[in-house]
Amino acid sequence: MKTIRALLAAATLLVSQSVLAAASEYLVSTDWLEKNLNDPKLRIIEVSVNPGVFERGHIPGAVNFVWHTDLVDTVRRDIVSKDQFQTLLRNAGVSKDSTVILYGDTNNWFAAWGAWVFDIYGVPNVKLLDGGRAKWEAEGRPLSVLAQTPPPGDIEITTVNKHLRAFLPDVVAAAEGKSDVALVDIRSPDEYQGKIFAPPGVQELAVRAGHVPGAVNVPWGEAVAADGTFKPVEELRRIYAAKGIDGSKPIITYCRIGERSSHTWFALSKLLGYQVANYDGSWTEYGNAVGVPIVNLAGTVWGGK
Amino acid sequence: MSSTPATTASFVPGALPPVRHLAAGAAAVAVALYLAYHLAGVPGNGRQLSLSVLLGLAFGVVLQRSRFCFYCVARDFFAARDARGLLGIIAALAVGTLGYHVLFGAFLPDPSMGRLPPGAHIGPVSWVLAAGALSFGFGMALSGSCISAHLYRLGEGSLTSPIALLGALGGFVLGFLSWNTLYLSALQQAPVAWLPQSLGYDGSAALQLGLLGLAAALLAWMHRPVPAAPALPWWQRRWPTYVGGILIGFIGVLAYLRVAPLGVTAELGSIARTLASKAAWIPHRLEGLDGFAGCATTVKQTLWSENGAFVAGLVLGSLGVAVPSGDFRPRLPRLGESVRALIGGVLLGWGSMVALGCTIGTLLSGIMAAAVSGWVFALFALIGTWLGWRLRRWRGW
Repeated sequence: MKTIRALLAAATLLVSQSVLAAASEYLVSTDWLEKNLNDPKLRIIEVSVNPGVFERGHIPGAVNFVWHTDLVDTVRRDIVSKDQFQTLLRNAGVSKDSTVILYGDTNNWFAAWGAWVFDIYGVPNVKLLDGGRAKWEAEGRPLSVLAQTPPPGDIEITTVNKHLRAFLPDVVAAAEGKSDVALVDIRSPDEYQGKIFAPPGVQELAVRAGHVPGAVNVPWGEAVAADGTFKPVEELRRIYAAKGIDGSKPIITYCRIGERSSHTWFALSKLLGYQVANYDGSWTEYGNAVGVPIVNLAGTVWGGK
Repeated sequence: MSSTPATTASFVPGALPPVRHLAAGAAAVAVALYLAYHLAGVPGNGRQLSLSVLLGLAFGVVLQRSRFCFYCVARDFFAARDARGLLGIIAALAVGTLGYHVLFGAFLPDPSMGRLPPGAHIGPVSWVLAAGALSFGFGMALSGSCISAHLYRLGEGSLTSPIALLGALGGFVLGFLSWNTLYLSALQQAPVAWLPQSLGYDGSAALQLGLLGLAAALLAWMHRPVPAAPALPWWQRRWPTYVGGILIGFIGVLAYLRVAPLGVTAELGSIARTLASKAAWIPHRLEGLDGFAGCATTVKQTLWSENGAFVAGLVLGSLGVAVPSGDFRPRLPRLGESVRALIGGVLLGWGSMVALGCTIGTLLSGIMAAAVSGWVFALFALIGTWLGWRLRRWRGW
């Protein structure tokens, strides 16, 4: 009897450990999430940018955050305010002891933006679903069309971590060598070199092309494997170190509007543990700013014939 | 040929359409099924494309068999007080209203938050919508049918419908040319009114069913008995419009659940927009257009869109049943008829561009979604149709 009990205990321990192992501090696998869907402490939040994606089938129990209206200020160019964010979280059933799992469409970009905003407002226990919505769907896991209204949560937002966000003066200071900060431009090589003003299919919202002087180019996709999951930590460390990003000094990430760079921000700060700020003004602000230094390798001229 | 005239309207055992007609119909359906199979492999939205073909196929079959043609049923009522066709449309709207409200409850538990249900055809309400609907109704009367009916007529071998659809392409271009002016003068400030936002789902469903019930009672009261139809073999007999209406209500709800609300002009408009953009006929930027829900047009980047797949399925579905039932009868239009179809088509195109959809996308899918824009479109399209019908009768066209 004792032996059986001991065996059972050992088996339980093994199972619980493997489950725990699958849930890293900041990432969960699709497999782990499906097994833990019924955990009452879990709050799953989808941040997809395409309308109708959540409604036509989401991970069972998930709540919908709309990037364009929920996570940003709709009038000023800014992230959502502290009070609005607290209301949003409480309505989504987030409490002090909740574990929040974020996921979304388009490579988790907007979910990663969400993770960044959660971190700025000091919400603990926030993880990203590795591989996002695309992986969950590709693996044929269940989707639900029922939108649930969870019982209100009691989370309180008390802090705002300003170090996670870079503003134009911070970036200009880095560009002019007045601060010891590493800049990572995560856009495509064509955008970085100034051959194009915006990625294909996206409006040209900057009147200058190129990149911030001193920035290295590591496109966001370098951080993920073919199935959209993050590459192993050691590989990530090597990829960024090869471009001189080794965490020895603070880092600023940027892209066009700050959403793709949230993804790299997540990899560098959460998975590698570096000190990283995301510059959400990104190229649409920098490329329009007057008098700031720019490197344009391609020499394109805006509006010129 | 289908020789033996059935003696009664009931099912005659062993009676079938001619084999070559059956084979031709089956071939059309097989092409649609192959297309659905093929499109399932498209990376990204393959599942939606494939399902769109199948939904289009079902829609085409129902439109053709139940003669779900907005102009025809309106004319039946104007000319002979035969209300059965219009009652069929009301059946579609009632079924769709209930189904949409069921889905809305799942998609958006609280309608009062200021959000709109995703993708539902809820458009801006302004004089532009009324003008578009009026133009659409008038164009329907001139060209002989609305856009969806022209599409199912393609499956019946109509040679007039291609002319009307060509006119509609031109009408779309005119719509794009007038868009920026209309947007800045009216549409930008126009309310996008959705009944559940102020009435809740219960109130909006009750109001809609009440209005539809009232309209049905009025039509039933005005209805005059019609002479009995000649007895036909079962495969030649059209389905009653209300049967088509109920089925269309179901197809509309399922389409909204899985892909998008029913609509037939998005692909047509996108083709017009792509061609006109390439030729630089229309402004590079159409202000605010892509921010509205409705039969959205885009500059085409890929060969197959969901709406394109749906329309292809529709035409094949109609062809698949039109041939076996003996409704496939190509006939060269007369010159006057062609000119009328072309001008009517232009009015259809312009109207559905500025109203963000036609009798399917704005009227059916709009009213089902409890959009005020759907009701406004219905009212003004009916007035336009009546005016066009009067004109045709007066001129003897």
